[in-house]
This record gives sequence, structure tokens and C-alpha cells, in this order.
Amino acid sequence: MSKIVACYKWVLDESDIRINSDLSVDFSKAKGKISDYDRNAIEAAVKLAEAVGAKPVGLTFGSSKARQSLKDALSRGLEEAFWVKAEEAENADGAVTARALAAGIKAMGDVALVICAEGASDTYARQTASRIGALLDLPVVTSVLRVTVEGNTVTAVRKLDDCLETVKFELPGVISVLPEAFQPTIPGLKAVMAAGKKPVTEYDCGSLGVNLVSARKVMEVKAYAQERRNIIIEGDNAAAKVAAVVSNLKKEGVL
Amino acid sequence: MAGVFVYSDKSGIALELVGCAKAAGKEAMVIVFSQEAAEEVKNSGADRVFILQGDNEVPENYAQAVADFLKEKSAELFLVGATARGRDLAARVAGYLDCPMASDVSAISFGDGKVTTERMIYGGAVTQKEELTGLSVVTVAGGKYAPIEGSAEVETVTVTPDNRVQLVERAPVERKGVNLQAADRVVCVGMGVEKEEDMQMIRDLAAVLNAEIGCTRGIAEEKHWLPPEQYIGISGAVIKPQLCVSIGISGQVQHTIGIRDSKVIVAVNNNEKAPIFKTCDYGIVGDLYEVVPLLIEELKK
Repeated sequence: MSKIVACYKWVLDESDIRINSDLSVDFSKAKGKISDYDRNAIEAAVKLAEAVGAKPVGLTFGSSKARQSLKDALSRGLEEAFWVKAEEAENADGAVTARALAAGIKAMGDVALVICAEGASDTYARQTASRIGALLDLPVVTSVLRVTVEGNTVTAVRKLDDCLETVKFELPGVISVLPEAFQPTIPGLKAVMAAGKKPVTEYDCGSLGVNLVSARKVMEVKAYAQERRNIIIEGDNAAAKVAAVVSNLKKEGVL
Repeated sequence: MAGVFVYSDKSGIALELVGCAKAAGKEAMVIVFSQEAAEEVKNSGADRVFILQGDNEVPENYAQAVADFLKEKSAELFLVGATARGRDLAARVAGYLDCPMASDVSAISFGDGKVTTERMIYGGAVTQKEELTGLSVVTVAGGKYAPIEGSAEVETVTVTPDNRVQLVERAPVERKGVNLQAADRVVCVGMGVEKEEDMQMIRDLAAVLNAEIGCTRGIAEEKHWLPPEQYIGISGAVIKPQLCVSIGISGQVQHTIGIRDSKVIVAVNNNEKAPIFKTCDYGIVGDLYEVVPLLIEELKK
């Protein structure tokens, strides 16, 4: 049975990130999660596979920390998980990530469709689907709002800046889905229990021959500096607080 | 021909990107895919305009052709407008070249065989400075650089597009008269509003302020109380009004990235610990159902 592959990334939860007073960033308390939008990609793979009788599988490129993601991904309806392993994944750029995922897709074989989310919730670079398509020289359709598969033909409606564009292509191919295209379901207890018994395949980057060298170097990471006055108008009298704000806005010349 | 090669499906952004490259003292070449697009950029002050001519109406289908062209011309940078199409084409070109790419950068500077960029990560909470070596791809949103003027020679090059993805139809998205990007004042509404009928109160506030209405992703995508064009944030609209009034919004970074270019931000929220109070100029801790009617009354005075 041919596979529909959902690519996903195990990321740090941005709500756990702490900003120090010198604007340095403390990631030490941050827990991992499957990137929010990638849950839409997983849902898309599960739904489309069900519609056409394909096998929905997950694929991630991650360090040893990504082991935690496998059960979570499998509880969302995927039947098998593939994990391309390398510690370098934690700081990988778009080029390295796409090489690793493309190598995983080649290694698992018999792939009809690759589905990515629009972007990851940490970097939100929105490169992966397009890069994988180029590396594997497959047709690519991004920004997909609606998609149907009939036989070998994929018809997709793309939401672009000023139009809805309907396109079609023959499988195999790569698509990226918008967050609003597929609403992820929260896995029930039964699905979580079953996930532990589903197969997982681990690939080593070295044996897949993935080039982990990037021409991108991270020079600095720091918190975004907000320059806001942060004046919170105090008091119990709501009308007085409102009047104070309006008076300030008049002084600022924005009313 | 080293230099910066520019592309945007929005001619206005292409003009700005030429301005960016020329201001850095670089040679700037514009890539277009049609005669009409060439007309729109031939007075951009670029050194040359190249029409990559093929029989396909979808710009992204020229990715392989663009990658080959950039290599042939020994380009140093492919600078692309960060629209949905631009990002896709840019990333596919980066894929075919297997070269580094920085997406949606907020700053760019040129060095010897390198570019240094800054971009936001973690929903805008953190900025990352990166150095890209060799031929690279960078995308930049519109509105960051000033266009220049000057005529450019136009040259046509015949290329072979990828015809595997076929266009079936295009339907323009109907804009419902809201232009958030251009608005001077915006009332922004979040999940603190309990019922759809309470949106009337928000419309009343917007009316007295002569403001447009924006919202968080939840209001547009979960509640469907406003169309998706009206949600503000990292994957929605980014606004820069004189005044942004934020009502019932907790202030997650995915949203606040879209309002932080506002001159003045006012926030109303009943939770004094809500992160919106760290991103606002004036904050009122209180029940929006009490504060908003008072605000309307005060503004009418």
C-alpha cells in the first residue's frame, strides 16, 4: 500500500521560553511539543489516506529528544512513524532539514504524497515543502486550503494573497496545508494506548548519506526588545480609568 | 554578472527590493515571467530586467529555470518578496540550488560573499541573526525599502517551465472593504468577547473611533465571527496604525507580532497577568463589558 507522509517537527514550546533582563533567552525550562501547525499536516495525512486507501505515516528529523514525539504522533491516527536521527537536527536550517526529510522519504519508499504544514511554530520559515519537492524533483503545491485525491490526480485549492487558485497534478507530489485546512482532533485514551504498539523505524543520518553541513551560521539569538510605556491605569472606578486613557491618547495626538 | 537578482509577483515589492540592493551598492537585476510584468519594473532603477519566457502561468513552476539561470549568471543573492507565491518560489529555488535561505527577514546587510540577516523566531519573541555564505536566497516582506527610479534594459530569455502542476482556475478573493494594513486606527478583538452578538459593541467602538476591526486567529478561525482576512498575527495581517485598541486579547506572541508596529497600543483585559499588558502603552485591567461602553461614551464627548 502506498504511503501518505506527514512531516512534523518536535519543537520547544514557545510559551515556556523565559526572557532574561539582559534580553538573553532562557530555553532551559522549555518542554517539547509537536509543532502546532504540523498537527494539521498529520490530520491531513490521516484524512486523505482514509479517503484513498493509502497508509498514513509520520516522518520527523530530530535529535534524541524527538523520541518523545513518536507516540504522540502515532496517537493522532498515523500507522507508522519514521525518524531520521541526528543530534545536529536541533540547530539545522531549512537546507539540512529538507535533505534529511527527503532522504527519509526515499528510504521508506512507495510514497504517493508528502504533506507538510505551512511552517514550524519555532522558526516559521515556510521552506520545507518547497525544498523537499525540489530535492526530490516532485511537483509541489503550497498554501493548500482544500485538497482531493481521485485516482492519481490531486486537485488542490490554494489560498494566495489575492486569489484562490485551483491546480492539479499527478502523484507522487508534495503539498503544504494551511492551518485552517484540517482541524486536528485530540487523541482519545484508546488511541494513545494503541500508539505504543505501532511500528517505528529509525534511520541514522550517516547511513542515509545526509549532508549535515550548512552554509548558514547563527550569529546571535536574543529577545525582541519591546519599547512600550506599559502604563497600567490603576483604580476601582472604571469610568475614571477610561477617562484617563482617553486623555492620554489625546495628548499623544492619536485621537 | 554577479549581483542581486530580485523577484516578486507584486511589482511594488520588486521595486522596493531593487531599492534595497542599489542602496547597498549592488548591481540589481529583476526577474519577471511576462512582458506585462517587465513593463511594471522597467523604470525601477535596476541594471537589467530579465524576462524568463515560458508557456506556464504559475510563477512557482519556473523554480528550476530560475535556479539554473542564477547559477549561469553567478548571482550572489536571490532576493524575493515574501508573498505566498514568493516564499514558495524562493524555497524551491533554494532547494534546487541546495543553498541557504533566510525567510521573512527584518534586516539584511551585505558582506564579502556573505549576507547577514535578522529574522524573528518563536512567534516573534526572539530575533535571530544569521550569516549566509555563497549564493543564497532571502525573502523580505513589502514596505521595508524605498524604491528608486531609472530605466533598465529588458532582455528576454526563453526557458522551460515545469508543467506538472496545471492551473485549473483562479478566483479573486473578495475583499470586504477592510484594508487593515492601511488603517490609521484599528480595534482588535479577541476571545474575551463571549457571544457573537457582543460584536455589535465592538463595531460601535470602531465606529466612534473611525477605526477598522481586526481580530485574533481564534475569532476568525474558530468562532468565524470575522473573515480570515481580518485576523492579525504572524500568519495573518500585520498592521501599523497610529492607534490599536486591543479588547479581550490575552496577547500571545503569535498575535502581538501583528500589532507591534502600531504607534500606540491600548489594551483592555480582565486578567492583570495577561501578556498583552507587557506589549501595550496604556492598559486598563477590567471587564470589557463594563469598560467598552464607558470608552464609547467618553470618546463621544
